[in-house]
Amino acid sequence: MKALPSRSLQIIIGILIVVGIVLLALAGILRPILGFVMDPFVAVQRWLSDQVMTVIDFFTLPRDVSNLLQRNAELENEVSRLQSQVIQLQEQVSEAEVLYSLLDFARARPESQYVAAAVIGRDPSPFLHYIIIDHGSDDGIRHGMPVVTQQGLVGRVDAVTASAARVQLITDPSSVVNIRMQTIKREAQLVGSITGELYLEMIPQDVVVNIGEILLTSGIGGNYPADLLVGQVISTRKKENELFQTALVQPIVDFTTLRAVLVVTSFKIIDIEPLVPRQTP
Amino acid sequence: MSNLLILPILIFLCMIQVVAISRLPLLHGKADLILLVIIAWGLQEKARNAWILALLCGLLISFVTASPFWSIILPYVTVAWLARHLHSRIWQSPLLAMILITFIGTLFQHFLMILGLIFEDITINFSDIFGSITLPNLILNMILAVLVFVLVKDIAGWVYPVEIHE
Repeated sequence: MKALPSRSLQIIIGILIVVGIVLLALAGILRPILGFVMDPFVAVQRWLSDQVMTVIDFFTLPRDVSNLLQRNAELENEVSRLQSQVIQLQEQVSEAEVLYSLLDFARARPESQYVAAAVIGRDPSPFLHYIIIDHGSDDGIRHGMPVVTQQGLVGRVDAVTASAARVQLITDPSSVVNIRMQTIKREAQLVGSITGELYLEMIPQDVVVNIGEILLTSGIGGNYPADLLVGQVISTRKKENELFQTALVQPIVDFTTLRAVLVVTSFKIIDIEPLVPRQTP
Repeated sequence: MSNLLILPILIFLCMIQVVAISRLPLLHGKADLILLVIIAWGLQEKARNAWILALLCGLLISFVTASPFWSIILPYVTVAWLARHLHSRIWQSPLLAMILITFIGTLFQHFLMILGLIFEDITINFSDIFGSITLPNLILNMILAVLVFVLVKDIAGWVYPVEIHE
C-alpha cells in the first residue's frame, strides 16, 4: 500500500480539524472557549466603534441639527396650519349642526315655507334687542314675518333691505307676544324688557300658574303663528292690590348664541288695526 | 383727500361695531367704538372735519339700529363739537379731555336713548338701567378710550403728516 503524500495528508487532517471545530461549535461545546477568546476583541471593537462614531458625530452633527431645526420649523408650520384647519372645520361642523337642526324643524312642519338666514350682527344700542340677518326682500322676506329656530320663537322681521333684514327679538322692550299656557289653557301676554328679561303679563289673579309651565304662541292678534314654543315660567309675582299677576319667563331660545334662524315666509300677517275700536272725542 | 381716506375706515368701524362689539356686552352694556373714534378724532389738532365724521357715522349707524335717528346722530355731533372745543382749551392733556368727553358723551347718549324709549311708551326701571347698562357701558368706554385715542392719533399722523419747515 502506497503511503499518502505528506502534503495531501496535511490537507485532509486540516479539513478534518476544521470540520471538527465547526461541528463542535455548532454543537455549542466551544462556546465558553470562543467567548473567552472573542470577548476581549468585541470589547476593543466596541470601544473603537464608539470613538469613531464620536469623531463622525463631531463633524456631521452641526449639519444634522440645522436640518432638524429646519424640519422642526416646517413641522411646526404644518401643525399650525392643521390646527387652523381643524378650527375652521369645527366651525363648519357647528354651522352644519345648526343648519341640520333648522332643516329638521322645517321638515317637521311642511305646511310652512322657510328661508334660512345667518345672524350677521346685533343692534348697537344696549337698550334694544334686535339682530341683523343676511337675507332680505330679494329672498322673499317681508316686514312682520315671524322668525324661529328649531328650539322656538325668536321674534319678527322689523325692517327689510334687498339683502338684509332686522329682526326684533321677543326680549326687546317693545315686543308683545300673545301666548297660551300649555297645561292650564289660559292666555296672557309675553313682553320683553330693556335688560332682556321676559315677563308674562295680563294673567288674571284667580289663575294658578305653575312653575315650569310651558308657554306657546296663541296666534291671537295675527302677528305670530300658533303653537310655537316660547319658554317656561320660572317664577310668579302676585300682589293683592293689582288686577293681574305677572310671571318671569325663561326663553327657550338662547339669544346670546343665536347664529342661524328661519324666517317663516308663508305666514300671512293679519292686520286687525281696522277692527280696533277708536276713541271718539 | 383725507376725507376720502376716512370713509372706508368709517364703514369698517361701523361693521366692527355691529358685528363684534355689539356681541361682547358687559352685563347689558355695550361699548360704543364709534363714539370713541369721533371723540379721539375731534381731539386731533388738524382734524377739523370731526363733525362730518360724526354725521356720517350717525347716518350709518341709524341705518342699522332700531333707535330713533336723532338719539344716534345728536350725541355723535355733540361729542365732536365738544372735542373740538375742549381741544383748543385744554390741548396740553388730550387724553384727559378724551376721558372727560367719553364720560359726558356716554351719559348724554344714554339720556337721549332713554328719552326715545319713553316716547315709545316703554316701561323704564332707572335703577336697572343704571346698574346693568349705563355703568357697564361707561366702564367699557373708559377702558377702550385710551386704546382708541392712541390708535386714532397714529391714524391722524398718517392722514395728516407733519410738515417740516426748513
